[in-house]
Amino acid sequence: MSDDVLRVEHISKRFGPVTALRDISLHLRRGEVLGLLGDNGAGKSTLIKIISGFQRQDSGEMFLHGRPYAPKSVDDARAKGIDTVYQDLALIDELSVYHNMFLRRERVHRPLPFLANREMKQQARSALDEIGINIPRIDVATARLSGGQRQAIAVARTVNGDADIILLDEPLAAMGAKEGSMILDLVARLKEEGRVSIIMILHNYVHVLQACDRVSMIQEGVIALDKPTAETSVEELTDIVVNEYRRAREAAHAE
Amino acid sequence: MTNVTGAGAAGQPASAVSPSPGAEPPAREPPPRSRRGSLLSREMLRERVLGLREGSIIVVTLVVAIYFAVNTSSFATSTNFKTLLPYFAPFAILGAGEVFVMILGEIDLSIGGTYLLAPYLFYKIATAGLPLVPSVLIALVACMAVGLINGFFVAIVGISSFVTTLGMLFALEGLTLIISHGTPVATPGAQVHATTHQVTHVVNGVHIQLPETVNHISTFAKVFGGGVYSELVWALMIVIVLQTVLTFTRWGLYTVAVGSNKLGAAEAGVRVRLVTVRNFILCATMGGLVGILEAVRSGTVQPDTAGANEILFYGIAAAVIGGTLLAGGSGTVVGALIGALFLGILHDGLTLQGVNANYLLFYLGLAIIVAMTVNIYVQRARRGAGSG
Repeated sequence: MSDDVLRVEHISKRFGPVTALRDISLHLRRGEVLGLLGDNGAGKSTLIKIISGFQRQDSGEMFLHGRPYAPKSVDDARAKGIDTVYQDLALIDELSVYHNMFLRRERVHRPLPFLANREMKQQARSALDEIGINIPRIDVATARLSGGQRQAIAVARTVNGDADIILLDEPLAAMGAKEGSMILDLVARLKEEGRVSIIMILHNYVHVLQACDRVSMIQEGVIALDKPTAETSVEELTDIVVNEYRRAREAAHAE
Repeated sequence: MTNVTGAGAAGQPASAVSPSPGAEPPAREPPPRSRRGSLLSREMLRERVLGLREGSIIVVTLVVAIYFAVNTSSFATSTNFKTLLPYFAPFAILGAGEVFVMILGEIDLSIGGTYLLAPYLFYKIATAGLPLVPSVLIALVACMAVGLINGFFVAIVGISSFVTTLGMLFALEGLTLIISHGTPVATPGAQVHATTHQVTHVVNGVHIQLPETVNHISTFAKVFGGGVYSELVWALMIVIVLQTVLTFTRWGLYTVAVGSNKLGAAEAGVRVRLVTVRNFILCATMGGLVGILEAVRSGTVQPDTAGANEILFYGIAAAVIGGTLLAGGSGTVVGALIGALFLGILHDGLTLQGVNANYLLFYLGLAIIVAMTVNIYVQRARRGAGSG
């Protein structure tokens, strides 16, 4: 318990008549990679948005490092060390790689308001090298990079911003096998360094078992499964989903 | 060569993540050297110039300037340069302000309105008794308020900027006609005094006294548009300051961020609405400033809505010809200066050539289309060349 960096308890969220989350409780330990699974529309993104400060929950509480956590905004959450990599990456194509990495945290030549580009370039270069991302030129526009490189930069941005909890919303969506495995390697390396704890929304059970320490599955607004990946399997995860599907089909036939 | 998928820049191995942490970063590619081995070879120079966002418009403007210099003897003279200035300095300033709004993917048509209204406000305040410079400042603050209103409707209410600023343009022009009763007035502080004094000349050994008339204008007028080079200095100062802001400050960085990916910028924490409002304030103020400069230069404040509308289009044209995309996402203030220079040279050169006034507008329009076409092709060649 004392090892939890983040705890959410009995979170619920409704959007009008639709209940996105009914009663969600989960926790994230220090240095852990937690895989968040669930069908489309199960509420994974909603939960991420609540944790990241983008939305407020209807009921339930969150605790960050043991202390109550109720972010007023995304900036507030970021200031407290929680950062998100959204599905669309939030990268600015027209800006260089290092400007993207420092977005909203630019270094300037105090007291003048001028950007300290050389300093940012150096720091970006060493940050990328440190986590092992190979991008030959960081002063080119981000539009020129591949999908995998862009994802890597989006992740590097959160690390560079001193986040200690990183939320990744479907980082492997629209990525081929090779680039996908590179991102998972990156996640593994971050975990190895022990500086961050990660929650990842994933769809592929093999990826989850490969990259995550623990997996939580959201189903019908609650956590249907919460186990270390070593203690579960692709079959078990599939069974839960298939059973839900069967139940839904029977319910539809009964009508 | 551009290789957007997979390999990153020039021929590096296609790996986003290298296998071992702390691997040595790959060596920077050395700049291409010509066979002659000198860095200033023709190829390098051409790549450097084309590599600039402004490269194509610089080339086009040089071509036009050389054409006129060669074909018209009176073009390349200092007298003509002074005549040229009012044809381009105002457009450069207006274009510079527009660039900040256009990078956001918006447009500000109301600069014609602040151009028309600001000198009248200045007139009203100065004739009410306030000193000249504070009167100018108050008129400019009123323009900032106009920009604030524009920004409010665009960023917060969510009306398209074209519609918002069009409405504001008409409203401001109408307001000017109302408060001026459609009557031109003399610009405060811009009056010309002629003094005549006797000067002694020696002619064939005989001393004669001849009267000489000298025109004086006040220092205020010299600074604010009346002096020969006054508008040029204003234009250069503003272009330097605004280009610096665009390239080297967070204001400029966030402007490009919002213009390139508004949602992404918001997710990253950029305050999109603040950035938008700020830029509209800047643009409207430039409109007012040019209005006052021109009023001082000509000595009269005129409620000429047609002239205001024409100048507004020239300002936008300068920005677009100079390389700022109407769709937003990128832009250059220096380019707007050169775009304004292009328009001015064209206007001035054709006039010198004695082109019939009726044909002037026609040729101007053709030249703009041709210039933009050349611009586009050069930009495409530049992208294809793969320079950073």
